[in-house]
Amino acid sequence: MLSSLMLRDGEVSSGGYTVDYGCGVRVLHGEKTGYAYSESTDMPSLLAAARAASAIAAGSGNGGFAKTAFGPAKPNYYPMQRDWRGADAAEFLPGLNKLEALIRAKDSRVMKVIALLGYSVSDILMYNSLDELTSDLRPMASMSVQVVFQSKGSVQTKSASRSFRMGVEFFTDELIKEVAEEATSGIDAMFEAKRPAGGQMSVVMGAGASGILLHEAMGHAFEADFNRKGQSVFADKMGKQICRKGINILDDGTLPFFRGSCNYDDEGVPGQKTYMVTDGVLTSYLHDRISARFYGVAPTGNGRRESFRYHPIPRMRSTYMENGADGTVEDLIKMAGSGIYVDEFANGEVKIGEGDFTFYVKSGYLIENGRLTMPVKDINIIGNGPQALADIEAVAGDLKVDPGRWTCGKGQSAPVSCGIPSVLIKNLTVGGGQ
Amino acid sequence: MIENYELELARLAMELAAKEGALKCRVSLTKSVSDIIGTLNGEIDKVTHCLDRGLALTLFVDGRFGTFSTNQLDEKSLSDFVSKAVKMTRILAEDTLRDLPDPARCCKSANDGDELGLYDPAYAEVSAEERRKLALDAAAFGKVPDTKDYKLISEEGEYSDSEFDAVTLDSNGLFCRHKETSFEYGVEVTVQATDGSKYSGFWWESSPSRSGLKLEQVGTTAICRAAAQIGTQPFASGRYKMVVDSNVASKLVSPVLSALGGYSLQQGNSFMTDTLGQRVFGEGVTLIDDCHIKGQSGSRLFDSEGVATVPGPVIENGVVKEYFINTYISKKMSMKPTVEDCSRAHLMPWPKPGLKQDDILNMCGEGILVTGFNGGNCNSATGDFSYGIEGFRFEGGKIVSPVSGMLITGNFRELWKNLIAAGDDARVCSAKLIPTIAFNNVDFNG
Repeated sequence: MLSSLMLRDGEVSSGGYTVDYGCGVRVLHGEKTGYAYSESTDMPSLLAAARAASAIAAGSGNGGFAKTAFGPAKPNYYPMQRDWRGADAAEFLPGLNKLEALIRAKDSRVMKVIALLGYSVSDILMYNSLDELTSDLRPMASMSVQVVFQSKGSVQTKSASRSFRMGVEFFTDELIKEVAEEATSGIDAMFEAKRPAGGQMSVVMGAGASGILLHEAMGHAFEADFNRKGQSVFADKMGKQICRKGINILDDGTLPFFRGSCNYDDEGVPGQKTYMVTDGVLTSYLHDRISARFYGVAPTGNGRRESFRYHPIPRMRSTYMENGADGTVEDLIKMAGSGIYVDEFANGEVKIGEGDFTFYVKSGYLIENGRLTMPVKDINIIGNGPQALADIEAVAGDLKVDPGRWTCGKGQSAPVSCGIPSVLIKNLTVGGGQ
Repeated sequence: MIENYELELARLAMELAAKEGALKCRVSLTKSVSDIIGTLNGEIDKVTHCLDRGLALTLFVDGRFGTFSTNQLDEKSLSDFVSKAVKMTRILAEDTLRDLPDPARCCKSANDGDELGLYDPAYAEVSAEERRKLALDAAAFGKVPDTKDYKLISEEGEYSDSEFDAVTLDSNGLFCRHKETSFEYGVEVTVQATDGSKYSGFWWESSPSRSGLKLEQVGTTAICRAAAQIGTQPFASGRYKMVVDSNVASKLVSPVLSALGGYSLQQGNSFMTDTLGQRVFGEGVTLIDDCHIKGQSGSRLFDSEGVATVPGPVIENGVVKEYFINTYISKKMSMKPTVEDCSRAHLMPWPKPGLKQDDILNMCGEGILVTGFNGGNCNSATGDFSYGIEGFRFEGGKIVSPVSGMLITGNFRELWKNLIAAGDDARVCSAKLIPTIAFNNVDFNG
């Protein structure tokens, strides 16, 4: 069940919830998939779904799947102290009102505030023909706010969000203050910001949300289905040096309470931490059971899906780069000399075959003579995944995994997290004027 | 498709809500079935069968408002659902501006759901075997020879068909129904050039009718689009004329339509604020809501409130003629209500009818033809945008070389002032009919 409460125009005057229940049946025939689902779990409905899914298996079976060696019981990466399902929505209204009051108190230019609290608990049971039975109780809580500021006839918007797999304990005064602070920070710069002259330049990506670089430029291309089908630009790069030594990039389902974490993925494989790049060498793709069987490796716990309406496919979880040893973000800005510094993003996209990726920058600064100068905003950045990896010149020691509400789309949505220490990349193309 | 007993469940939800104290409510019941056959390199790779049914409930209780949905429609579950929904609505702050639409504005002509001819009875005749055959026959892998310049290394195709049925009722007596079928085939290919570089291409066709789906050229079109990019590279940054292929041109219309939406306007988060009745675009920009065309995707007789849609101009000769104002926003902003959004946007030809892409390239002489977008976004408050693009440089009206890894940057209000031409070649399989369009003075970075 997913519940939401929205504050708009000073009142929490809209809200609601969604009840979603059902069962999916997947039949595998080699690497081929048959899938069907039912919104009822009575036996006739389940059998009908099973018959529809089994249409993929025309004839006898095509090889089996190995039973997963689960090992000892895994920890729960997102235990709820207090379950949302027992809470009364009325207790959350004052918090949303407080959020708006804090935001308005911080800046007299605030014109409008929209705040949203969403929370859900998914209760999932998985069983397969290897007689593996697993279950997972997945909470998700998100708070987001969009603020419209007006000053001297000019309008700017700023958003902030926090999202974790947590129970009611998510919604604290501290969280509300943190979101209010972020939603009102940097507004002077936004009103002053201009479009830079565009072109190729060095880009310093600030710690945290810049992890969108890893997600778009590398993470998708490391998903094993794209490689199994020969589509990914990294399809022939396994075991090869793809960036400078010292760089480690991983996808992690075990970060406590983060959006991307999974006790079990949607194929019943335990959550785990997967190094994709170790010391600059491509060491693993992200696998579901199908691609793991194809490559003859163990599944990595990346078989994820949006809901019972979709079959699992390789998806990222929390994707980040480990700390480097090239100093601080200030050191990287000095090293760049000129270019731009970016730290706030909206969305990104990648073309898997070509490796061309983009991400949209909501705010940042020009770098001139090794220091931050003019604020910039609303620019797209474009690059090529393998080239951008090779062009990482420096990695700071300030890793941060962003706590925002990141959602990945790949035909079906999945909650993810991303993070990175500050990095310096030469030669990305930045949108702007002439 | 929606059966009588399901309609009775929808009515039961309204009765239960009334008993619980919801003086007004709206119920929308939807049901859909779809089958998807995926192919990989000429073989069946994926078979998916989907059956969905859901009920959405909009409640107005003691001056308060809530929206709820469930897919558990047995009477016991429905009763619990409605009871809890009313209880939750009562905890929300009062908002007396929330209301059902005036019945006089509501649609009264959507009774059997197929008034617009979007439901093809032939859907029921498509067998599982035929779906597999259609998907396999449409695949180009192994049928199209590689060339000296490239080989096809991956082809993923997807044939799908579906039927959809939706009924909307409200406590003012509204009854509206919309049924449609859809038949689609899409394919994504990856080709590898002789230097090992990879290029992807995509193409699709869709139709509400089985006989309207043309599968023959989909795979080869995708391959041609991928192969045409071989040797692509960024072009020198500069300010050029931009021609945008009709396949992707709606990307430059959607933000404008969104900015004309009531919620954005009411929140002050729209670059079209205070433009109603004003000439803000070039005189060549005429966009109509062509929402009642029979048999065409996107057509509909009513919006989600049940308000009757009305074909007509949204922008006419550059002048903004309509905001999309639903019942709530009309009261919030003291404006006349219209419909909640544009159903089937149609950008009209300019400066004359009948122009195709080649004509527009000739008209422009030289510039960049954009055939795909890669990411990017628009600031909804200011209209500033920046998008990644791919396409072709053209000179003398002829394509000379592929370009990629470039960005366009600008502002939507400025962009649409600089419209040079709009063609007559919109893809009718799309719900937005946006033809090839051309603009002056667009900033490209590469």
